[in-house]
Amino acid sequence: MELELIQRAVPVLLKGLGVTALLTGVSVLVGFNLGLGLALMRLSENRFLSGFAKYYSTVFRGTPLLVQLFLFYYGLGQLSFIKNSEMAWWVISDGTRCAIMALALNTAAYTSEILRGGLMSVPAGLVEAAQAAGMSRFLRFRRIQFPLAIRQALPAYGNELVLTVKGTSLASTITVLEITGYAKRLMSQTFAIFEVFAIAGALYLIINLVLITLVRMLEAHLMRHQARSR
Amino acid sequence: MKLKVLSLVAFLAAGMGSAYAAEGELSIGTEGAYPPWSMADAAGNVTGFDADVGNLLCAKLEVKCKFVVQAFDGLIPALKAKRFDVIISGMSITEDRKKEISFSNGYAELANMFVAPKSSDLAGIHDFDTLIKALDGKKVGVQAGTTHAHYLEKNAPKADLKTYDTLDQMQIDLASGRIDTAFSDASALEDFLAKPDGKDFQLVDVKIASSSDATLGEGIGVGIAQENTELKAKIDKALCELVNDGSIAKASETWFKTDISRPCK
Repeated sequence: MELELIQRAVPVLLKGLGVTALLTGVSVLVGFNLGLGLALMRLSENRFLSGFAKYYSTVFRGTPLLVQLFLFYYGLGQLSFIKNSEMAWWVISDGTRCAIMALALNTAAYTSEILRGGLMSVPAGLVEAAQAAGMSRFLRFRRIQFPLAIRQALPAYGNELVLTVKGTSLASTITVLEITGYAKRLMSQTFAIFEVFAIAGALYLIINLVLITLVRMLEAHLMRHQARSR
Repeated sequence: MKLKVLSLVAFLAAGMGSAYAAEGELSIGTEGAYPPWSMADAAGNVTGFDADVGNLLCAKLEVKCKFVVQAFDGLIPALKAKRFDVIISGMSITEDRKKEISFSNGYAELANMFVAPKSSDLAGIHDFDTLIKALDGKKVGVQAGTTHAHYLEKNAPKADLKTYDTLDQMQIDLASGRIDTAFSDASALEDFLAKPDGKDFQLVDVKIASSSDATLGEGIGVGIAQENTELKAKIDKALCELVNDGSIAKASETWFKTDISRPCK
């Protein structure tokens, strides 16, 4: 590896790091809330709501993220009613916003399944006890079901976070200049493919290591009752 | 057994070095999505000006042509990894690329132009300096890894470059209004203007000759691995004959309605 090349590549790739972080941050924030809503819909007794949530997660988990990105970006961009609607066009016209939408909708589907598993693992007896104590439905969810479900779901959710970070690299195919987008541009300028993509890979690894550590710390915090009893 | 494996390895290694000579086949890397230069259909057949050049070359060298379709920005890495023997894909000869691979003499030469909506302020521009100034803050589509991308990075640093893997994707975004203008070969842009999507667009009346800037290269040539000097000599000779006997001009007339062949030195 040439030092000069690394000096040229690193600042460029770091510019991309910010965009990758933005794509991940916003889509995870939106995706988690959507996913929680979908998980609750799925567990609802209303057949329409649970049916919708089920098909949503089947469709988004069953198709590749790249296909979804192309459908949203190139596909929806050709429909005239999208172009005529100011709000829809605001999202679809821009590669970054379009990528955030696709990533958020995609991670929402996985998150809903992870949270559904967590919610289902909460023992019925605990919920009944809370009910007997006179807690309202919302209070029961806030104090009993949600905290216990998150504890169960966190390891699997940490995995989903890592997958979302890696998924952001596909945004480079719809003109977004994130880490991979800049790496491709550097590739055609310098042809130093090995060096450029090795640095890009290292940056993804660093982001994911930070995320994994944060999730582990949160996990240790939520499970502190067990740590004490051992 | 060990000897057998060793001799197999030796055989494979020898085969790689001279795949073309041994099998009587020339494998050609091409983009397959750059009309009218190189178009691949769903069945994998390649047509276009570059396919014609490839076929003429193979006939001259008395070998069989085999086309390998690959995204443009991956062509040079793939050639270096010996995925194919040569690149014929409207590739301009540039100093940067020459550090990686060698080229035959140029066989064609084209003007580079911008395309913009007829209603755009770019449409009425007729001189180079005004055009470059007008590009400030405009979203300009270019294809990844092309001379056009490098040219604008150098000459219009304030333009907001959007890079696309394929020309089709760039044209979709041009038609949908995501980008203000696109910069490419005049031939590729005329192909877009002929489509229904291109009806509200026009070429900006400023021709940027390939010879005007080093980033735009020295014409279009056949890419060959640096160590393959023997093949380069054969291809240079064959191309020269094809240019001189008018075969390349004829193929050019078929696809571009004009002669873009570059005289053989």
